[in-house]
Amino acid sequence: MRSSKSIALLATFATVAIALTACSSAADAGDDGRVTVKVSIDPGLEKGAVDAFNDRVEQFEKANPKIDLEVQEYNWAATTFTAQLAGGTLPNVFTVPFTDGRGLVERKQVADISAQVAELPYAKDFNPNIAEAGMSPEAKMWAVPIAAYGQALHYNRALFTQAGLDPNDPPSTWDEVRTAARQIAQRTGQAGYAQMTSGNTGGWILTTVDYAYGGRTERVTGDKAEATIDTPEMASVLKDMKDMRWSDNSMGANFLYDWGTINQDFAAGRIGMYVSGGGNYGQLVTQNGIKAADYGVTALPLTDDKNAGVLGGGTLAVVSANSDDATKAAAVKWIDFYYMEKLTDHDAAVQDAKTLAESNAPVGSPALPVFDKATYDKTLEWTAEYVNVPLKQMTPYTDNMFDQPLLTEPSRSTQEVYALLDPVVQTVLTDRAADIKSLLAKAEADAQALLDRN
Amino acid sequence: MSRGVLSQSDWRTPRVRRTARTLHVVLLALLFVAGVGPMLWLAKAAVTPTQDTLRQPLSLWPNGFDFANLATAWTRVEIDKYFLNTVAIAAGAWLVQLLVATTAGYALSVLRPRYRKVLTGVILATLFVPAVVLLVPLYLTVVDAKLINTFWAVWLPAGANAFNILLVQRFFDNLPREVFEAATVDGAGSYRLFWSVVLPMSRPILGVVSVFAVIAAWKDFLWPLLVLPDPDLQPLSVRLPALQRFVELDVFLAALAISTVIPVALFLVFQRLFLKSGALEGAVKG
Amino acid sequence: MILDTRPAAPPRPSPPRRRRRRTPRTWVRGGGLTTLVFLLPMLVVFTLFSWLPIGQAVVMSFQETNLVSAATFVGLDNFRDVLSDPLLWTAVGNTLWFALLALLFGYPLPLLAAVLMSEVRRFRGVYSALAYLPVVIPPVVAVLLWKFFYDASPTGVFNTLLGAVGIGPVPWLQDAGIAMPALVIEATWAAAGGTVIIYLAALTGVAPELYEAAEIDGASVWRKVWHVTLPRLRGVLLVTFILQIIGTAQVFLEPFLFTGGGPANSTTTILLLIYNYAFANSLGGDYGAATALSIMLAAVLAIFSVIYFRVTRAWSAS
Repeated sequence: MRSSKSIALLATFATVAIALTACSSAADAGDDGRVTVKVSIDPGLEKGAVDAFNDRVEQFEKANPKIDLEVQEYNWAATTFTAQLAGGTLPNVFTVPFTDGRGLVERKQVADISAQVAELPYAKDFNPNIAEAGMSPEAKMWAVPIAAYGQALHYNRALFTQAGLDPNDPPSTWDEVRTAARQIAQRTGQAGYAQMTSGNTGGWILTTVDYAYGGRTERVTGDKAEATIDTPEMASVLKDMKDMRWSDNSMGANFLYDWGTINQDFAAGRIGMYVSGGGNYGQLVTQNGIKAADYGVTALPLTDDKNAGVLGGGTLAVVSANSDDATKAAAVKWIDFYYMEKLTDHDAAVQDAKTLAESNAPVGSPALPVFDKATYDKTLEWTAEYVNVPLKQMTPYTDNMFDQPLLTEPSRSTQEVYALLDPVVQTVLTDRAADIKSLLAKAEADAQALLDRN
Repeated sequence: MSRGVLSQSDWRTPRVRRTARTLHVVLLALLFVAGVGPMLWLAKAAVTPTQDTLRQPLSLWPNGFDFANLATAWTRVEIDKYFLNTVAIAAGAWLVQLLVATTAGYALSVLRPRYRKVLTGVILATLFVPAVVLLVPLYLTVVDAKLINTFWAVWLPAGANAFNILLVQRFFDNLPREVFEAATVDGAGSYRLFWSVVLPMSRPILGVVSVFAVIAAWKDFLWPLLVLPDPDLQPLSVRLPALQRFVELDVFLAALAISTVIPVALFLVFQRLFLKSGALEGAVKG
Repeated sequence: MILDTRPAAPPRPSPPRRRRRRTPRTWVRGGGLTTLVFLLPMLVVFTLFSWLPIGQAVVMSFQETNLVSAATFVGLDNFRDVLSDPLLWTAVGNTLWFALLALLFGYPLPLLAAVLMSEVRRFRGVYSALAYLPVVIPPVVAVLLWKFFYDASPTGVFNTLLGAVGIGPVPWLQDAGIAMPALVIEATWAAAGGTVIIYLAALTGVAPELYEAAEIDGASVWRKVWHVTLPRLRGVLLVTFILQIIGTAQVFLEPFLFTGGGPANSTTTILLLIYNYAFANSLGGDYGAATALSIMLAAVLAIFSVIYFRVTRAWSAS
């Protein structure tokens, strides 16, 4: 009978289909108490940095025989996060910036590890400002701050020299920034000063400079949040930027920069100065291959306004929401080992620095203390012999960074407000006839609508 | 003798001949500059150091070659890994599309069930739905089925291509039925007929469908971007833009150049097939 | 009979048959099971990845979905939110602008090239290959390459070329007014070759007798093109027109990779907006708004197509 062939085929299809669905829904049962934790590593790293990471993984696995680590390349990105969470393909441990971390904790999209974190020896020693970034509304630590930084002004020493400026005496006021930018543009043909403008980074840096001028973009009283974008401080920020761009022509010709592309152009020697996180040197080395001798960083210039301060940021280590209890415990152990121990324990700090240095990864980039200054100073002493970053070139920043008031980012709808400030910056930089007053008025109205809605 | 607008006598007229010749030369030059120009520049830039490309983009190696770019692109940037991902994605998508199109075309054209008009209608209807409508729900389907970060997420949806089925079905419709009759008389069942008679006769259309399938998979950007967030699995089209941030310009351009070698090489070798498919696309859609 | 070997030609009148009862057994015997087996791959793939998602799109446009909690029904809220988003009208305007520019650059140019190419007597293959080459380059590579060409500094590739003839550095992608045309130029470059080949195939299909008849009537070259070539091409021209409109209405790759929608949202298209609603939203994706906008776009394109076919049928008939 011919139809028997068809029946046989149909039966085969059915069995295969059932087998496939059964396979995928079978949970990975942990056997003999071993736990597997998927840990994240930044994508696109140089071989040295990858080797250093793998060494640390080996050391951890040796010290914790019941825990197996799987390394997964992962970069936190808003676009794919929720889908990966729902699809279960996130690593168990990964890092997010402060701004995004807050939202994740609020929406319970990361695991509650506060119990395990509370057991860590240094749980109570966090700098309160910094710790706040990873706290849930009930003041429990759901995300562990592993690094903190303040914004700083990075500059290219080679371009400074070429332009006739003293690389050891970088600008300390915004007027000096403007003069230096003009000189660099005129004498070297490269952009004297550049600014990020897209992918929400435009709003981020604009807010940074606004803070440095003494302004704020948001005022929160109790439950209500008020957008304060249309202020004299913000207007003068934009006016100065407009002057640099159109009157001085010192900002180069390309303006659609985000965090990665501005780093890249800076490392390639096309930008004289730009504002970004204080510890950026690490990325510039591992991802953009910057020449060490060309790098310089100085404290973000602040105006005399009494409210002027430096926008702070940092990185949080989180555990993905679909990790079970055993995995959570193991994950916190990894966080402690890889991210935290080196901040408080002598041996761990030395070991970490040694491993990094041996693989030619950067050791010693400036950072702000996650705990307190005394602890931070101690770690610097311990690891002094392994430091391979040009610390002497960073003194304009490191000598002054503790004297500057450190401010937290706006807490409400941070990324969304940044997103609607992006076009403001872009317009000022690309349209000679930009009307700052109306741009700010519109931005404030839009931001207020956003804050009211959320 | 094939002719276009111009007749023999037109060609003999000096004025017409001169104008036509000039226009042809100009056209050829423009096509060359527009078609090959960017590729030649890319090939040149692939072996030029960054600073030269930035400061003097049009000059030919003022400071010598930098062949290391290509090696770095292949090793550090791991173009080979992403290239293999692209090949794997194209191969899987091709297989799925061939399977779906040939079996469905055979059933609709040769086996002719009673409900074939309804089925054909429902299949064709999907041609009128713009791809954008499918984007979000298809994405959520893939997420729910836990297919994110697997190649199946790209292979399976590729099969839902009504155009392929249309092409194959039309082709099968035009196959001579006498051959089928003869085979049936010789005792061939449906499966045998499909495998040993219809498929071997269908090489031309299978070639066209294959070209479409491979090119579409090679070019695909948004869909793999969404369903393959793991960098290890990403094809070239998704990885190259992300890489740009980490990689020096000269190595990046070398990576771009390497990515074009295969498609261009395939095109030069299989020119006629590509051009015929391109023409067929317009003819069928008309 | 297991399979139907009747030719696709006009059916022979069939002799009156005894009415057969259709039972599952006769269906199986008649080869129904086999047909089902052959249809299975298509049915599975289309149901899961085409028909169901289309239905889900419609349903989701009336729901609020994020992957963290269950979906809730919100009626027309998504449509209202989308329509009241000021960025929507910017996106619509930008998309129309892109479509218009693409028509101006990309519609007549391939036709002109194809007409010229159809007259080439030797080495026509070379012309075809050169024209089609940009189509073969993977679009991502082309965009990244052109992005570099469009560097706005005086040492950018295009600016160097223009500088050689004395034209000042053009801001290209950095200027809100020039960014969109720049995108269109690259998009046209990448796609024109395909259209040229299609036109060429249609042109070579024009019967020589038509030209000969026109020549007997004393037609000049121009008149032959106008009265013979173009009318014969009308079908292809009409189809490529509507296909181009539908394609450019959904443009995503160029704005996404070239400018990310900037500067100042001047290159944000409807597809980019849908992408941003669904995937660039750090709150977890507003899938309801994204599907609502997709449905609206599809509806507009459908209405446009219907009107288009009615109007062009009226023209063809006349």
